[in-house]
Formats: sequence, structure tokens, C-alpha cells
Amino acid sequence: MNERFGDLDDVHLRLSRTRTWGGLEIAPAYGPAEPDEAYGAKLGDPGEFPYTRGAYPQMYRSRMWTQRTIVGYGTPADTRAGLQSARAQGATGLDVVLDTLSQEALDPDHPMFGPEVGSEGCSITWLPDLEVLLDGIDLTSTDIAWHATVGLYPLVLAYANKQGYDLTRLQGSHMPDHVTLTLSGYGEKLLPVDLAQRATVDVLEHVARCTPRWAAGFPQCYNLRERGLTPTSEIAIGMAIVNQTLADLAARGVDADAIAPSLAWVSTTDVDLFEEVAKFRALRRVWARTMRDRFGASDPRSLRLRIACHTSGRSLPYQQPLNNLARATVQTLAAILGGVQSVETCTYDEPVSIPTPEARELAIRTQQILAHEVGAARTADPLGGSWYVEALTDELETAALRLLDQIEAEGLQTAVGSGRLEELIDEHNHRIEREMLDGERLKVGVNAFRSEHSSPPPRFQVDRAAVDAHVAAFVKRKAARDLEPLRAVLREVRGTAAAGANAVPAMVRAFGAEATTGEVWGAFRLGMGYPYDPFRAVSPPVPLD
Amino acid sequence: VTDPPPVRCLLGMIGVDVHSRGLRTVARILRDAGVEVIYLGEHNSAAGMAAAASAEDVDVVGVSFSVSTYTHYVAELMSELATINAADIPVMVGGLIHPEDVAALLDLGVDAVFGPDSSSEAIVEYVTGLAEKS
Repeated sequence: MNERFGDLDDVHLRLSRTRTWGGLEIAPAYGPAEPDEAYGAKLGDPGEFPYTRGAYPQMYRSRMWTQRTIVGYGTPADTRAGLQSARAQGATGLDVVLDTLSQEALDPDHPMFGPEVGSEGCSITWLPDLEVLLDGIDLTSTDIAWHATVGLYPLVLAYANKQGYDLTRLQGSHMPDHVTLTLSGYGEKLLPVDLAQRATVDVLEHVARCTPRWAAGFPQCYNLRERGLTPTSEIAIGMAIVNQTLADLAARGVDADAIAPSLAWVSTTDVDLFEEVAKFRALRRVWARTMRDRFGASDPRSLRLRIACHTSGRSLPYQQPLNNLARATVQTLAAILGGVQSVETCTYDEPVSIPTPEARELAIRTQQILAHEVGAARTADPLGGSWYVEALTDELETAALRLLDQIEAEGLQTAVGSGRLEELIDEHNHRIEREMLDGERLKVGVNAFRSEHSSPPPRFQVDRAAVDAHVAAFVKRKAARDLEPLRAVLREVRGTAAAGANAVPAMVRAFGAEATTGEVWGAFRLGMGYPYDPFRAVSPPVPLD
Repeated sequence: VTDPPPVRCLLGMIGVDVHSRGLRTVARILRDAGVEVIYLGEHNSAAGMAAAASAEDVDVVGVSFSVSTYTHYVAELMSELATINAADIPVMVGGLIHPEDVAALLDLGVDAVFGPDSSSEAIVEYVTGLAEKS
């Protein structure tokens, strides 16, 4: 673990060539010879309002997209080893995925869910876990994207405090959109919508005031797309969440220019290349106009939307899994042609297990081939001006704004709580199922061109003995804590939650006192009037009354 | 002539898995086929599923998983059903079930497994077929 962890500068990618393979020099962007008023209003050059054609004038010439890879399995030590090898393979951004228990703020010793620990991600519960995972990694220079929502931000802040970092220089990102989780299977039991939105606003207010270089993957539309949204409804529901949250933040005195520069839209690409490219273009236009006209933003960093893309896992079927390499390549290309700022390419074995090391390497190589061989990044918005793509961009925007109006007429929290948005998702999934049955939607290897010689690829196996030892050590260290200081900090979390004040500072202090995510989140739930443990199987370590 | 009573089917997920999209779609397809679906959603315990199966007097229990820990939870469910003398209720398992695990699930007493390569038609055929058996 003392091995040197590569600095970002060592691996930061630059566009390696601005000429075609045939030798023609390519301009940073192309456009109409004599731009008219409509061009300026609807498109604008790359880097100009309304940013339809890209957030930056030089796009990938000024900064390549961050080639991200996802790591997370077993214990913090296991995942640490995985990060090391991903960095060695050339990933420029590292993403850490937590296991399901950690994502749901349930501790690894929860009596109901033993086999979940470390199964689908890394078990991260408290400060000692971060001390193992991040040993020797400087969070003021290394960009770690945490695929986590509940409780993660205050935990990282507690770690940063202990390391003595200047919080204004803290880098990294997480995904503080709790409401999309309510909609994505967490439901009222784990994340009631009022508690979800409160947690989001607390975190984003704190980001705006205290950690300006920390990025928030918000809204988190990836989960919703995977659940069952179209590109149109992605824009509509994502903007509904953004609009509600910016209004809530404004009520706390945080205006759009104080938070929007910290936000990056978390999106996906399915396999329909042109529709996804048009979506990114329409989305940037909707975002820019909304920020300016509705929220009075004027900082260009607020108006130009940054987008983080993770290619669709849902689109990768189990049948003939090697076909997924072709799908993921097209999806990654769609993200680049759409002008996103970071891409995680799904591994081909997504439907089989969490990635094997070989599958992870192939996903990184896919991005490197697109970056250096295909030339997709040479010029900004290469599909701009295509009659097809421009028409599709306009149609997506119109349809999305229509749906957004309907959602806002009902109110976001009502639309979530009443199940209306879930119905929209169900309807879409049912339509896909029908179309697959009718043969109107062909999926190669699934309902067409099936192969008899398809065999499943190898499965990734977590080292259970290491996980069991990790849980045993956790239980022992937890039992050795001094309970009185713990009681004080957890009571403070409960109290601030109940009083309606921002609970993040109290959570940071609680994590600093070696509280666990289950305890901190349980105290927050209690303060909001919900049971400490959604499964009612665990009590606080000390009475919090 | 009166129609035979519809097949009653309990659907739910056990554990902390939130990937309920497939199960929600199956619920709708079964309802469209005339099956009476009792949908418990995510985050059930094995004991809770077993108790609901017995209380609702269902003809079949369906559980779905998109995480790798399903064999553990299915074993728990079968044991809970046996404990409350409801082992005669057939259990079907669906989701991201790896072919290598199918034999183990059948050994536990599972009646039908619908993995990633199963069609929704096969699920409907199995569940509606239970009416003729009963």
C-alpha cells in the first residue's frame, strides 16, 4: 500500500492528433459561413450561449473528456488494489462504487443482510474504511468520483478534516440526488421523498458555501434512464428536479450562480446514437436558457452545462455478451459526439457480474481507441448542422419542455409521492416489452439472430474470507468506542434535522467521532420523524432521546 | 358456466436489491394475462414473504434478483415456508440468475427458474398453467 499512487498529471490525456489519418488539418469547430440570427439564438458556436454545440469553444482540444473507470468490490483494501490497477491501465478518473448496504446507509453488521457486504461494490461505512481506501491519495489533487449518495459527503469531509486538508481545495464528486433514488427502488421505506429532498438541499447548500471545488453529479438521471426513461423524459424529469432544488436553495440564500458551477448532469447513452447526441445538445440549450431566464444566472460556468456520462448497463443483454463490446463502443461514441465531459464505458460483462479485470481493461481501451484512433474528438460538435440531428434536437427539446410543464403543474414531490412518475416509467418498460414480443424492436442475440453457442463469460468472485474478517474487525472496533461523545454527536444530528437546520456540519462531526453511516443516517431519520432503521431491526448504540 | 378462479401470485424482492424494474414489468404482464398479482415490491425479508404467501393463500410465489446473493435468500425463503407449513406453495425465481446456479436453486425446492434468457411468455405460460394443476 506504500506504492506510489500516480498523479493525475501523469495520465492526463491530451488530444494526440488534429489531422485526419489521411493528413488533412482539421479546425477546432465548423459552422455556417455567415451565421444568421436563428443560428445565434438556437445554436451558437461551441462555448457560446445557449451552448447547444458544446460547453467550451475548443471542446476536447482544450480538455479531453475524463476517461473514467468504475471500481468497487469487497473490502476497502480490495477496492484500493482495484484502483491501483485501473490507474495503471490508464484510467484518468477513478470512480468508487459502494456496496448496496453502504449505499442504503446500512452497516455491514446489520442482522438481516450479511451476504450483501462487499458483493456489488465496496463496503464503506466509516472513517477507518476511508483511511484504508485512500491511504496516500491526495484528495486535493486526485479526482475520485463517488458513486454514492446517502451520507457520503459528510463522511469524506470528516476524512478531509482529519487529514488537515483545506476544504476549499477539496476535489472529487459524488451524486447527491436523493429523490432519483426514491424513484429508483428505494421507495418510501428507505427514502421518503421529503427526507430525500431535504438531504439533497442540505448537501448542496454546504457544497456551495464550503467546498467550491467539490462537484455534484446532479441531477442523477442515469438511474432514472436505467429504470425506464426516454431521452425526452430524462430532460423533463431531470429539469424538474433541478428547478425544485434551485428554488429550495434560493430560499436558503444560495442563488444559482453559487451552486450551478458545481453541478454536472449525470446521464447515459443508450444505443440509438443520433437520439443520444441530440439529447445532449437539447439538454445544454434547455439548461442554459433555464439558468439565465428562470434563475437569473449570469456566470458562464452556471450557464454552460457539464455532463458526466455512464453508458447504459441496461442495454447490454446477457445473451452473447461479447456483442456488448460493439454496443458500448457506439454508446461511448455517442457521448463524445454529444460533447460530454466524462465517460464511463460499461463493461461487456455488466449483465453477468461486477466487472472482471479483463472486462474493465477492455472498457478503458475502447475509450482510448475512440480518443486516439477514431478522431471523434478533433472538432467540436461534429454532427452540428446535420438536418437530421438539428431536427431531432428541436423535437426532443419541445417534447421535454411539454412534459416538464405537466410535472411542474402537479409539483415534483407530489408527482413522485403519488406514483405518477413511476407510472410513466412502468409504461415505457411495458412498451419495450410489447415491442420486443411483436418483433418491432430487435435486439441482436435476444429476440433476433440468436446463437446456439453462447456461453456465459467468467464471473467475478469476491473474496468472502477477507470480507468476513473485515466485518469482524468492524464489529470489534465499534464496540470499543467511548459511547458518551458518540451520543452527543448523534443527538446533535437528530436535533439539527428536527429543527430544520442544515444537518451536514453535525454529520461531519459525528463521522469524525467514528460514528457509522447507519448511525448518522439513523439519527437524521429520527430527526425527520422516521424510524432509525427502515427495517426496524437495529437500534441506536446509545439512546438518543 | 363460471370462469375458474384466477391464479393468485405473490411477487416481491428479498434483501436490499433495488432493481425492481423487471419484477414490475412481470407483474403487469401477469395481470394482463388475468393473474391476480399481490405485489410486495422491494426490501422484504424471507420470513415476511413466506408469511404473506400463506396469509394471502397464493398459488405461487415469485422472487426476483439482480444481485449475486440470491441463493442465500432463496434458501431462507424455502426454509421459512417450510417452518409455517407452506412448503407446498410453488416458488419461482427470476432475474440475473447465472446458469451455474440453476441446479442449486432447483435442489432447494424451487419450482421454476426464469433467468436472463427466459421470455415473458414463458413466465405467463408457467403461472397460468398452475390453474390447471390446482
